[in-house]
Amino acid sequence: MSAGQYPTRRDPRRVIMGLAVIVTVTVAAYTVWVWPRGPANKLIVYTYDSFMAWGDDPLTIDSRVFGPFMQQYDVEIEIVRLQTDANGVIARLITELERPVADVVIGIDNVLILQEPSQSVLEPYTPSNINLVNDSLIASLDPEHYVTPFDFGLVSLIYSMAKINATTHPEVANLTFSNLGTTEMASSLVTEDPHLSSTGLAFLLTEIAVYEKLLGQDWRQWWSQVHGYVDVLPGWTDVWQVWSTEATKWFLVSYGTDPAYSYYSTNSTPDAAVAPVYNAGSHYAWMQVEGIGLVKNGPNPTLAKAFIDYCLTSSVQSYVALNQWMFPVNNEVTLPTAYSYALQAEDVNILNALLPRSEIAANLTLWLDEWDIIFSS
Amino acid sequence: MNRHSLMGHLALASPLVLLMCFLVYPVADVLGQGLFSGTGTSFYDVVVSPVTQRTFTFTVIQAALSTALAVLLGLPGAFLIVRLRFRGKSVIRAAMIIPFVLPPIVVVVGFLQMFGAFGILDSLMMAITGSPVSVINLAAGLPGIVLAHAFYNIPLVVLMVSASLERLNPEVEESAELLGASHFQNLRRIVLPHIIPSLLASAVLTYLFCFTSFPIVLALGQGSYMTLEARIWYAFRYFDYGEASSLALIQILVTLSLAYSYVRLGRMRQQGIAPTSNAKQVGLRDLNRVQVVLILAYLALLAFLVAGPIAAVVRSSIYDPLTRSYSLAGFENLLSAGTGGGLVPLVNSAFYATMSTLFAVALGIPLAFAHRGSKNPAASLASIMALLPLGVSAITLAYGLMRAIVVPLGLSSNPWPVIIVAQTIIGLPFSARSIEIALRSIDPALLDQADLLGASRLQKLFFVELPLLAPGILVGAAFAFAMAIGEMSATLFIALPQNVTLAVAIYQNLGVRKFVEAGAGALVLVVTCLVAFLTIDRMTSGSSGGTL
Repeated sequence: MSAGQYPTRRDPRRVIMGLAVIVTVTVAAYTVWVWPRGPANKLIVYTYDSFMAWGDDPLTIDSRVFGPFMQQYDVEIEIVRLQTDANGVIARLITELERPVADVVIGIDNVLILQEPSQSVLEPYTPSNINLVNDSLIASLDPEHYVTPFDFGLVSLIYSMAKINATTHPEVANLTFSNLGTTEMASSLVTEDPHLSSTGLAFLLTEIAVYEKLLGQDWRQWWSQVHGYVDVLPGWTDVWQVWSTEATKWFLVSYGTDPAYSYYSTNSTPDAAVAPVYNAGSHYAWMQVEGIGLVKNGPNPTLAKAFIDYCLTSSVQSYVALNQWMFPVNNEVTLPTAYSYALQAEDVNILNALLPRSEIAANLTLWLDEWDIIFSS
Repeated sequence: MNRHSLMGHLALASPLVLLMCFLVYPVADVLGQGLFSGTGTSFYDVVVSPVTQRTFTFTVIQAALSTALAVLLGLPGAFLIVRLRFRGKSVIRAAMIIPFVLPPIVVVVGFLQMFGAFGILDSLMMAITGSPVSVINLAAGLPGIVLAHAFYNIPLVVLMVSASLERLNPEVEESAELLGASHFQNLRRIVLPHIIPSLLASAVLTYLFCFTSFPIVLALGQGSYMTLEARIWYAFRYFDYGEASSLALIQILVTLSLAYSYVRLGRMRQQGIAPTSNAKQVGLRDLNRVQVVLILAYLALLAFLVAGPIAAVVRSSIYDPLTRSYSLAGFENLLSAGTGGGLVPLVNSAFYATMSTLFAVALGIPLAFAHRGSKNPAASLASIMALLPLGVSAITLAYGLMRAIVVPLGLSSNPWPVIIVAQTIIGLPFSARSIEIALRSIDPALLDQADLLGASRLQKLFFVELPLLAPGILVGAAFAFAMAIGEMSATLFIALPQNVTLAVAIYQNLGVRKFVEAGAGALVLVVTCLVAFLTIDRMTSGSSGGTL
């Protein structure tokens, strides 16, 4: 082999140095790019990923909703949508317990607040304008005022009218759990895992309330019957995805505002309809109330309290319906016309009244364990 | 101790020290808190619970089945990649990595469209049998989980085994043939012993990968099937730190014993190494008809299993199921820089994944060297430590990093360095393992020659070892990159909105019904990995050509 065939050698130390320089420059550039901007002292609000994400212009929603407060108090507000749901938000607050960063948290619902760790990261606070909120919502969410109601929604079965309707299946008008228990119907239902999704948990509580309190039967019966047929997916996203793409999935567990959203976004008659659970002449639904709370030992408590008060006023509450697709808790706010397609609280009996807070707090883990046993058999 | 050997020891010890700080300490902190502070279920109650036992059994069985299927389907692919000469091989090889980078939710959707009820396979079967109802649904329950895991891990087997096959000296086989060995004898006595380390390594990685899998299991298991990892996730969500830590501890113990037996097995297998070389290749034309038919049948099977779900991803980037129309809105979104745009996640993903790949390789090389040859306990420790990240649940790691690193250091409002740490740790088993395999196939005679010719340690490393390790580094880097860019569980927990990665953004876009945006994101993820892989391929093939 002639010497000319050997490739030229670079000095390894040069290669290492070159690589080190490139890495350093890249890291420095990135560090500068993501360096937190704005004033050092701002009000930080932790919430879940889809907070106010469903409106016409989710990109500017924060400045429209919270802009007046920022002007009035001359402070910047940062709405930090953590890439998780409310349980994940609490988990983060627990890890930050020693050095809290957030001042306020939005999105803790009436089941999550029953768990001791949620209360451990919050400081009870009663807003001065609490009279704007219906007493029944406060009673449903948290009489101890760790959290104050922010919005609420009704969790129900929703069906696709293109796949099933009152002509093909008359029972959808008055749908009972036993209707849903047939192989055909159970196979067409897709719901969220109650461990991983508050919507799925609300459906489990719906079923427990109906069987234990209305029918006086063992709630495990229905789940044992549908196990193997009903499709259980991790979260609302996955459920909605499968329901909207699979022709065989007629029902999903979602919110009673889905038809209103469908009407609003397509500007035509909704393609989805609500089928609240039926029993002995009445319809029923579980109510989810989401709350706003003060983070314990947060950096700016005074400002945070003013912010919570502000969130109950119509300046914020009037945006809830079309951006959050939940009902505002402020009863002075008028609902948009699309909401005539939504399931209203007046249309149904609220199941929460049948399952007292103390009973849920005491039994939640047990119920989930029993649900696991049914589903892992 | 002279300066050189001190430097050497420091280089070898640095990955272990870093793993102690960023893996062992944070995880031990969480486990200690969970097990001993008395919050939640006790270890005893967790172990005796029938749900735990059933979960454990299922976890073990599904991982074994998935590994068997991945090895069975991956092994022929490895041979084809190495032995068969065909056009576009580097692209095919690069494309093999794609399944690894896809976020689980995208895989699930692709699987449902391909193998689910009324999916492509089912429609085909319905047309053939003339049945009006669904005939076959492979995207649910145990078959769905095992198939999806195989889809994820076939690339691992193919690429790791082919990297080692490439270093099998053709002269050995030729001599055997001259001496009258049959094809089968050749395979059994020469080829198999040569690829056993890489086969074992890829099987162990696959097994651990499936053992700790959870998004796939949750999505395709219909609530009936759970892995330990899924239960850890459940427990964390309900703040049952006792249960979460107990299950995480069980998972770590299983991983450690697997890693230990793997190391023991590896030692027993160690044997003389044939002179380093490049594999011989044949063209399709040189094969007989039976062989060609077999190869085509295998490729068709692989195309169906691997390419099917990928095709579904490509289609989803331009087809909106809501409006039932085609649109390029997804790609426009990727170029928009504002909040909700795809540019920030794209830059984040590229930056985090590139950095963690560099670190994973930089740490993987000393880990591989520490493991080599010597029978001291440090070598075993290095090897076991390199596998440990696979057995630590991602959520436990993320939780530990938050508690032990992010919050005490005041990084809560700017946590990106820790995301890189987490992604490095998750990619490390893959880089360390494949580099170690490559290191084993280096002929010691070559190093002795370099010594004789007066090469310094650094020169030997740069001009002899690293070029020879190139295929192993390439595969290791590719998997580390893929693991990092597709990682979701730990990133989700640590990241603030400005740290969102593409994988996370895809999930969120699906959540707000932006299907084309999600599809476009997935496609970009696929293309990025393809380009990255091809680039590394080009770079390394250039350098190894110079050595041999």
